[in-house]
Amino acid sequence: MRLKQLLKLIFTNITQNKVRTFLTTLGVIVGTATIFLVVAIGQGGEAQVNEQYSKLNVGTIIVMPAQRGRVADPLTKKDAELFLASANIAQAFPLLRGNGTINYNNYSASATFMAVEPEFQTSNNLTAELGRNIEEEDENKKNRVAMVGAELANTLTDGNASEIVGQNISISGRRFEVIGIYNRVGDSGSGQSYDDAAFVPYSVGEKYLLGTRANPTINVQATGLDTVQAAIADIQSSLDENHRAGGADQFRIMDAGSRLAAAQESARSMSMLLLAVAVVVLIVSGIGIMNVMFVTVKERTKEIGTLKAIGAKKQEILNQFLIEAVIISLVGGIIGVIVGFITVPILRYFELAAIASVSGVLLGLTFSVVTGVFFGFYPAWKAADLSPLEALRYE
Amino acid sequence: MVEPKKCVIDASNLVKIYQNGSEELKVLDDVSIKVYDGDFMAVLGPSGSGKSTLMNILGCLDIPTTGEYYLDGLNVLTATENELAEIRNRKIGFIFQKFNLLPRLTALQNVMLPLLYRGMDEGEAEALARGKLTLLGLGERLGHRPNELSGGQQQRVAIARAIVGNPELLLADEPTGNLDSKSSEDAMRIFQELNEQGNTIVIITHDVEVADQVKKLVYIRDGKLYENN
Repeated sequence: MRLKQLLKLIFTNITQNKVRTFLTTLGVIVGTATIFLVVAIGQGGEAQVNEQYSKLNVGTIIVMPAQRGRVADPLTKKDAELFLASANIAQAFPLLRGNGTINYNNYSASATFMAVEPEFQTSNNLTAELGRNIEEEDENKKNRVAMVGAELANTLTDGNASEIVGQNISISGRRFEVIGIYNRVGDSGSGQSYDDAAFVPYSVGEKYLLGTRANPTINVQATGLDTVQAAIADIQSSLDENHRAGGADQFRIMDAGSRLAAAQESARSMSMLLLAVAVVVLIVSGIGIMNVMFVTVKERTKEIGTLKAIGAKKQEILNQFLIEAVIISLVGGIIGVIVGFITVPILRYFELAAIASVSGVLLGLTFSVVTGVFFGFYPAWKAADLSPLEALRYE
Repeated sequence: MVEPKKCVIDASNLVKIYQNGSEELKVLDDVSIKVYDGDFMAVLGPSGSGKSTLMNILGCLDIPTTGEYYLDGLNVLTATENELAEIRNRKIGFIFQKFNLLPRLTALQNVMLPLLYRGMDEGEAEALARGKLTLLGLGERLGHRPNELSGGQQQRVAIARAIVGNPELLLADEPTGNLDSKSSEDAMRIFQELNEQGNTIVIITHDVEVADQVKKLVYIRDGKLYENN
């Protein structure tokens, strides 16, 4: 039979058997849409992790006390200076962090404040959106000035952030002059946003805000990604030498790169889990397809017998059913992908990160054709293998 | 001197044995049959006589356990699966008791099908199929599907499908078995007309009335063929 006529015959079979076609296609649609969405959610999760960490320099190493609160042998500004002796370390500065109430006019917010050296701003991509950054002079002269994160500025001024520059705020009851507002940087990667915090020069924070409770962490910048491990070793030996009591063991040393890798890894294993779920869904819908095919196989087997009796070759019958299965599963697959595309914005509305992607489309279509052909074609293949007599007699 | 007629079916010593567990069931027992060009023959027998098995073997749907079978001079028993499909397509026109029309195709498409499997161009096939259906009085029913046709009409579509490719042999299995008496008469008249036009026809039946209307009658009982009752 010529291909054009074969296609016509297949088309007639598909369109004249609407219930079967619908049920078969439905299975493929559900399976494909699931795969597509799973890939979309997986990629969305990974993108979320990457975005979260995009502000974080992967060469950053954070040295912090192993215990919170007051410790016997805290890190000091001197430690940071000692770290700089290492050839693997480009930058090291101490950093204090505390929580307190911040007041401006009638507004008050409970927020994090940080005491930082000027280098902190550049290594964290913080620049003054309004006003000016904290400068070396502020540090040296212990100027009582403060920078405010973009979000905190909004909170304190009820939306008129710009008015706060040049005004006084109080942090834990101490008065500071606001010299600027930082640009918005999003999540810093430590699970906390700089946008919600206030910043003062390190020396000022040490003297006025934390005093003897000062228990700084030290931010270290390795000279490059490849020197991170060497830098960590240098930090450890420096700590061992200068903190006799417990050595480096009383501190935690974390590097941003391995945290990013760990987060990416967990996002990826989440994707794999979802994909496994999708494969199960596809197998289940495949079994649904096969059920429908087996239900109609009695009718079709007799047809195959008739076709053979009037001269159809086995290969022609196989071609017919193969093409039919491919068409049904491809159409189902395409509809499934469209359903997926429609569902992505709905997922986003419910704040589930999902990203439609080419790989999702390809994976969905591949799976739909493979399952559709396998489960749809197999019963027909068995039928075509019968002798014409067996097929005609099939009851 | 009369030129000998062409032998369409030349089968000799056909034996068909079905293996049922350890038991052997001999359905055809040394059957020899010759059908000549232009014959109009009926094979009459009760159910279980082996007549369906004979029809399946003659129609190249089944192979005998032993024996020889030449159809229009071709050795059927040495043919490959594809060659058999070709033989069924070109040499034989089947008419089944239950018509065996494809339910989703129209009458016209059903009749075109054997020609399309032959690789014929669609336009040509359609013209031929239309011609045969019109000849059988179904010119107004070309676009109807089988479930929209009466039993008699369905049988005529089936006959049209069998003759559309000008086969050497028309093989009808209980062609009146599913028809009322009026439609049965119509069908038998059609067979007679077709035979008068030169078609070779073999009808397998248990219906004595059908057997009365053919030119040549053979009987089958317990797997053996008899020339007279």
